[in-house]
Amino acid sequence: MSILSVQKATTRYEQNLVFQDLDLDIKKGVVTSIIGPNGCGKSTLLKTIGRILKPKSGKIYLQDQELTTIPTKKIAKHLALLPQNPIAPSELNVEELISYGRYPHLKNINKLTSEDKDIIEWSMEITHTLSFRDRQLHNLSGGQRQKVWLAMALAQKTEIILLDEPTTFLDLAHQLEVLQIIERLNADFHCTIVMVLHDINHAARFSHEIVAMKKGSIVAKGTPAQLITTEILEQVFQIRARVMTDPHNGSPVCYGYESTLPV
Amino acid sequence: MINPERFRYVRILFITILFIFIMIYISLTSGTFDLTIREVFNTLLRLNSSPEHDAVIFDFRLPRILLAGLVGFALGIAGAVVQGITRNGLADPGILGINAGAGAAIVVFMFFFQYQISDTGWQAIMIQPLFGLIGGIVATTLIYFFSWKAGRIEPQRLLLSGIAISSGFGAFTVFLSLKMKATDFEMATVWISGSVYNANWHYILSIFPWLFLLIPIIFRKAYLLDLFQLEETSLKNLGVSVEKEQSILLLSSVGLVSACVSVSGSIGFIGLMSPHIAKQLVGIKHRYALPISGIIGALLVITSDYIAKSIFSPIELPVGIVISIVGVPYFLYLLIKVKK
Repeated sequence: MSILSVQKATTRYEQNLVFQDLDLDIKKGVVTSIIGPNGCGKSTLLKTIGRILKPKSGKIYLQDQELTTIPTKKIAKHLALLPQNPIAPSELNVEELISYGRYPHLKNINKLTSEDKDIIEWSMEITHTLSFRDRQLHNLSGGQRQKVWLAMALAQKTEIILLDEPTTFLDLAHQLEVLQIIERLNADFHCTIVMVLHDINHAARFSHEIVAMKKGSIVAKGTPAQLITTEILEQVFQIRARVMTDPHNGSPVCYGYESTLPV
Repeated sequence: MINPERFRYVRILFITILFIFIMIYISLTSGTFDLTIREVFNTLLRLNSSPEHDAVIFDFRLPRILLAGLVGFALGIAGAVVQGITRNGLADPGILGINAGAGAAIVVFMFFFQYQISDTGWQAIMIQPLFGLIGGIVATTLIYFFSWKAGRIEPQRLLLSGIAISSGFGAFTVFLSLKMKATDFEMATVWISGSVYNANWHYILSIFPWLFLLIPIIFRKAYLLDLFQLEETSLKNLGVSVEKEQSILLLSSVGLVSACVSVSGSIGFIGLMSPHIAKQLVGIKHRYALPISGIIGALLVITSDYIAKSIFSPIELPVGIVISIVGVPYFLYLLIKVKK
């Protein structure tokens, strides 16, 4: 069953066409990763699904309701989006920022209920941010900051979470930590996850479904085993990849590649 | 448990209000002829007052102090809102040309209409803020139009187009006032540079409804102003109707500024300085910073007006000029700080 469905969507960014007549179904309770080279439109697709960008034509359905017919505040209770480089005042403290995630649920915007506070507590626990809850944002490392933003998205308590390159600019350990938090959200709390990832191996290891995009269209879609193959990687990224199966967890791994572009 | 932020806010609130009372006391008692505190209290509380004291306090000093306070309060809040929604610490209604737009519209009103209904001057004073509002909205629309790029407002373009529009409207205002009669021209010039010296109770009454209506709207949206410090994608993700809320907040502050301009002319820099001082004192949360910004604004205008009327006494300076003497260096200081 699909929880999100994109039907014949066309989006432009300023004057440039990013994608045209694009169709995509996102299955409920599944982790879907979108991969593709720079400028293929994957971020734009994510923003269109998250109603940050309005499609020029075509429709997006959340469950069975068309996105433009739902009040934006109501959408925010079902769908959270973490942008690529989120910005907040550096003097803001961690817990304060996370509490902003409760905004769509607040009845009285100046007061958090005990339920709100419990959910904020929960999202800090899941994201391991409790230990620096009182710090100001400028005192955090890049990895800590990313987890705080993730916590804010969690505080929205949505069944769908969209993430735009959640691991960019993080070191290896933090990349893995963020992805494991996401994995847990899906496994334990049945969140539907759609994320844009740069790293093919991360996508292979942490997703159930992979969508490969190139030049504004979806080239292939399927399980990691179906998608992470020499043929498809060549078609999408113009690389000649060597792929094997990781004996540790059974997911395909690209362990080396050469460019097919003329030097 | 007492929230430390709240505690700090209440303390600062108390101290700043105390300062305002001290300034009110000084302004009420000293001037061309000094009054004792006993005489002031006797007059205010209607205990054996003399007609001379009544005239000095009720016709001259008190309305002037009150008007200065109200205008400062409104400008401080309007400044905090404009800085909040543009995410630009250098934005100020004066620099953005809202003052100039409102001022030009009011000069148009004075030039064409006021004389025809001069026998009902009372109504003219009440209508003046409305004209100011129209001018303010025209200026704001123009600024938006010029600083809009790719679906968003660019901070640098905003400041630049604001400065351009401000000087455009300013030139128009001077042009029109030059065509006035000599006496009216002098009045208009003093008014344009920002002054409260001809304050009276009608002025206070004419701006009061605006403040009474718009300030609560802004205060209720204090939390949204906090959210506005995030970037647009995060705001939309949280389900904030960005354009709608931005327009409500911007229109409310244009309304406040226009009402102020209609009674006291263009007093700049209050909207720039007060929010910065307030945020230094109580932090960046608007629920605390907005009221403090208003109070700092009031304190600045009351104090500057006292300086304006006493420093070269009996000659008076327009209060706007006194504020600019402090405001210009402060603006430059902020510019340097932003650059770093």
